[in-house]
Amino acid sequence: MDTKVSPDQVIDAQQVGRSVPRMEGAAKVTGRAEYIHNLRLPGVLHGKVFRSRIAHGRILSIDTSAARAVAGVHSVVTGEDIRRIIPEPYYGPAFHDQPILALDKVRYVGEPVAAVLAADPHVAEYAAGLITAEYEELPAVFNEVEAATSSICVHDELKPAITFPDLKHLKGKRNTNVALDYKLRRGDVSAAFASAAHVFEHEFHTQHIMHTPFEPFVALAEPLDDSVTIHSSSQMPAYVRLEIARLLGWPENKVRARTAYLGGGFGAKVYVKIEPLVVALALLARRPVKMSLTMEEQFYVIGKHATTFRIKSAITADGRIAARKCEVFWNGGAYADIGPRVSQKSGFTSTGPYQIECAEIDSAEIYTNLPPAGAFRGFGIPQLVWAYESHTDIIARALKIDPLEFRRRNILHDGQEHPTGTVMRDAEFDEVLVRIAARMGWDAPFDRGTGTKRRGRGIAIGVKASIAPTTSFALVNVSADGSAVLFCNTIDMGQASNTANAQLVAEVLGIPAERVKVTQADTDVTPFDMGTLGSRSMFHMGHAVRLAAEHARTQLEALCAEGGLTYTGEQSVAQAFRKKFGMQAGNIFGVGHYTSRYQPADPATGMSKEVTPFWMIGGTGIELEVDTETGHVTILRMVNVVDAGRAINPRVVETQISGAALMQLGQTMTEEMVFSSAGELTNPSLAYYKIPGIHDMPATIENEAVEAETRNGPFGSKGVGESGTFGVSPAIANAIDDAVGVRLYSLPLTPESIYRAICAARGEPLED
Amino acid sequence: MSVATRTIHFTLNGAPVSATIAPHHTLLEVVRDTFGLNGARESCGQGLCGCCTLMVNGQSVSGCLTLAAFADGATVTTVENLAVDGKLSPLQAAFIECGAFQCGFCTSGFLLMATELLESNPRPTEGEIRNHLSGNLCRCATYPEVVRAVQLAAERMA
Amino acid sequence: MIPFELLEPRTLPEALGMLADDDTAVRPIGGGTALMLMMKASVFVPRRLVSLRGLGEALGRIELDAEGALCLGGTATLAALEASDLVRAHAPVITRALPHLSNVRVRHVATVGGALAHADPHMDLPTILAALDARVRIAGPAGHRTLPVDELITGYYETALARNEIITGVTIPAASAGKAAYIKCTTRAADDWPALGVAVNLACSAGRIDAARVVIGAATDKPTRVSGAEAALRGATFSGSTLDHAVTEAVRDAVAREVAYTSDAQGSAAYKRQLARVHIVRTLTAALEG
Repeated sequence: MDTKVSPDQVIDAQQVGRSVPRMEGAAKVTGRAEYIHNLRLPGVLHGKVFRSRIAHGRILSIDTSAARAVAGVHSVVTGEDIRRIIPEPYYGPAFHDQPILALDKVRYVGEPVAAVLAADPHVAEYAAGLITAEYEELPAVFNEVEAATSSICVHDELKPAITFPDLKHLKGKRNTNVALDYKLRRGDVSAAFASAAHVFEHEFHTQHIMHTPFEPFVALAEPLDDSVTIHSSSQMPAYVRLEIARLLGWPENKVRARTAYLGGGFGAKVYVKIEPLVVALALLARRPVKMSLTMEEQFYVIGKHATTFRIKSAITADGRIAARKCEVFWNGGAYADIGPRVSQKSGFTSTGPYQIECAEIDSAEIYTNLPPAGAFRGFGIPQLVWAYESHTDIIARALKIDPLEFRRRNILHDGQEHPTGTVMRDAEFDEVLVRIAARMGWDAPFDRGTGTKRRGRGIAIGVKASIAPTTSFALVNVSADGSAVLFCNTIDMGQASNTANAQLVAEVLGIPAERVKVTQADTDVTPFDMGTLGSRSMFHMGHAVRLAAEHARTQLEALCAEGGLTYTGEQSVAQAFRKKFGMQAGNIFGVGHYTSRYQPADPATGMSKEVTPFWMIGGTGIELEVDTETGHVTILRMVNVVDAGRAINPRVVETQISGAALMQLGQTMTEEMVFSSAGELTNPSLAYYKIPGIHDMPATIENEAVEAETRNGPFGSKGVGESGTFGVSPAIANAIDDAVGVRLYSLPLTPESIYRAICAARGEPLED
Repeated sequence: MSVATRTIHFTLNGAPVSATIAPHHTLLEVVRDTFGLNGARESCGQGLCGCCTLMVNGQSVSGCLTLAAFADGATVTTVENLAVDGKLSPLQAAFIECGAFQCGFCTSGFLLMATELLESNPRPTEGEIRNHLSGNLCRCATYPEVVRAVQLAAERMA
Repeated sequence: MIPFELLEPRTLPEALGMLADDDTAVRPIGGGTALMLMMKASVFVPRRLVSLRGLGEALGRIELDAEGALCLGGTATLAALEASDLVRAHAPVITRALPHLSNVRVRHVATVGGALAHADPHMDLPTILAALDARVRIAGPAGHRTLPVDELITGYYETALARNEIITGVTIPAASAGKAAYIKCTTRAADDWPALGVAVNLACSAGRIDAARVVIGAATDKPTRVSGAEAALRGATFSGSTLDHAVTEAVRDAVAREVAYTSDAQGSAAYKRQLARVHIVRTLTAALEG
């Protein structure tokens, strides 16, 4: 909040559509911004975890004696100890499958088995290293396709949470690793393939990825007389409260979850992660307990699904996609987390943004003995777009149709039905393609390079549905001087949501955005919100904030009228309060809430007339150069274009597009969690898990949000945090194909994989 | 574990200070936990991300890889020292203006490195900016905006 | 990390007296960037660290000796090398390479001695120093000795140093300062340890190579000289930065044939062999271009 801006300075000027600087900018550049990472409390104990070193095994014994003997150790806790306060210590949003500390079995290398508490974190860490465990080793399964039919089962029995109706049929199921089996059946697919002029079939793979937020997972639990406060770097404080209350059997109001700014989230910090353990340790110790994971430990908490995607298309003689079959296997790891939602909510868009009359999708979440996979910026969409846009490009090239033309011929337009049965609304696919092509000069001659440096270009476009139905609540509190505070649970983890939400309040109240304060989430005072994920907040919370501000304004206008005043913003409100209460006293509360519409999928066909309240669209164009002697790729130009509806804050929208695309660039070129044949992660550190640095940036990057309006969105807007990721990976692979005539089917696109493909294409494969 | 402690004396953001430390404590721990300066943070723990950047005797170091004992007698400055009497430095202002951060966790390190660069090289080329900042990582990938912010600050300081 | 004893000697004899030949938990610490990583990962749990930081006066100098050889002190930092006019004049290949080695903060504290003693094959400096025919000066309880760089480093993280010895410096003979170049090739992110490092140093006269040193690093267990390539280059003529095709092919073949490449996360041995075949030519071109 910038109090230097005078209260009535921008009265009636438009707050929406203005590039208001981030509200927390000064705090972040001076090092003073609040993160839970910084929180210190008197008497706090630090928790350090002992983790499983095997992928699958029955726990025979855990020896904590050496750890307990270390001077300065407060206590050592195992899964059995946790049962003393939480009899059923299993958590998870989709399945209650994850023990707070391993019980009976371990299911992946890195799973927490025991925890040490000490006042000195060095002591706790040292002592944790002295714990040993004996296991009866069990055979393990790592690959998602193998695990789908394997006799090795990660869980003896499936335990779906009650939250999701489409998981009910899995309750109690045994002898399976399939944690969700979404199916879509539309039209006569067999007939379409039988009569197709061309049939194309490919298999694509994506690798395991970790979010690596720079503020690693951190939580601090404070046990109070009959309640607990959890300070956590969480994208979902309301859910933290719900899940901890459920585990403890307490009413929600005895659990308080609060956050500060997040040092990155990207989907890692949704639902609960280390919070149940920290709460359990604090309640057992009757002391505040803080756990700050290291970067290395983060890799054992949550990641992004590796996938195998088998895709098959029937193409008509005039180059139209008549039918598409999609079979997607999602490697969910040992615990489901929100993976089943990823497999379904994203799975139903597996056919891509195209007019396809006959479609068949099988999208399955598979348990394996690897670290859990869940939500990651894009919520599964980047894995799907990688496959369907590589596949689409292969088809266009094989049929000698320009890849842009082939896409435009098949792309969905407003009013047309997506294969799920939902009619497209406010989805500017064609415009996104047109703008990418215009920026790239697609029709102009292109320098293809010479000698060992060959140039190529490629495009790709993807679509994502929002997560529905979900609910947001917001509360606007106007004080007697007319200043406003917004209470909401949307977490600002870098996407500038506080700034955008302040703009919405300001727009409605007719005051400068800089004058609105936004609180940090604290479930004791901020009302319910499902969570900050899946680009849902601008739309859902945006509506709730708008409604809360409108509710406040209605009351403020009435208050002014009661005092014979005309509402003109803060000063008029201050006068009205003084008139009514005789002094500067009182409040006006505006409340608002919003729930998106959704129609559950028909169990037989997987179709629904309303799968999402809005569509996210993102495309990327790439120009690159390949060194044919080494396989090294230089990205010369990256053009990212999205449909974000109407931008509430254009500069923030641009940085969201850019940041998302560059994050996906890392996942395309360098990032990969590499596992040994025993399921051990070999590279859990930024030294060996390579995220993009400043020298990995494209020589030129352009970002654009097309002119668009989301008619059912708040002030015409919709979410944009993920759209920049969609097209990046396939656009690069398509450009590599364009440059050197080789096709890659697996991420990441390492120089060696490209060089090997070049060698293979000329019939001189490089030895292994 | 028996711990032999020692007292170190150094200058922190212009003021003489002393701290009782153990040999295994890092300078980052001391700056944060003893002096409550939270701008430098431990993230990768390996000196690769730059979130823990501190200036020791005028040179940038990774606070997470520096033993506190080595700061005895040194001059240490942190990001908290960049703004003077609440007035942001030209680089800090340019970072805000160019949107050169999102989550902000790595920002202190980028600011200290960029300040160090502009002190020795007031008009760096884009390549020199990239080289000097290549040991700092930003998971939100605001690199293009960071480069623009350093260029803008350099122009304004010229 | 857990507590240890930290000693800060002011003289070399004092420092040598604090080390012990028979205790793996006692080590000298210079810049500490590599050691701290090992300590934080509990790969190395020290009982005692002997800091060399107080020896900078004696061991941190960069100077020419009586024969005109460039002497780099063992505790001279990489940043000091990067800024040194002497290094720029006598071994510009080092000056050119340094901005791409590790990062600024590491270069501010990491030392020449540390880069050699650590013997991590992914360090660039040993490969460059080997191409420059540098000799490592070592002090121990029995006095001083010197070793060529490629004899100091005996294998993967292995050296010929005794536990109670300290690297006091490196000497680069004046005669070895020829046309030299180093290429660092990374295969993951742009900023990474090298998958391959290639250093060449050519003594030339009037369009002819009189002698050559060719060293491959990073893709091997230790910096490795390629004698076949050196032989093929000896006596070769060049015009501009171009060598005869036959010479280039002979060099490429020797680099591919003679060197034992390792497979790791940065690439397979077969791929690194190809990288070496390509980069040896690029490095030679860079050296001849000066």
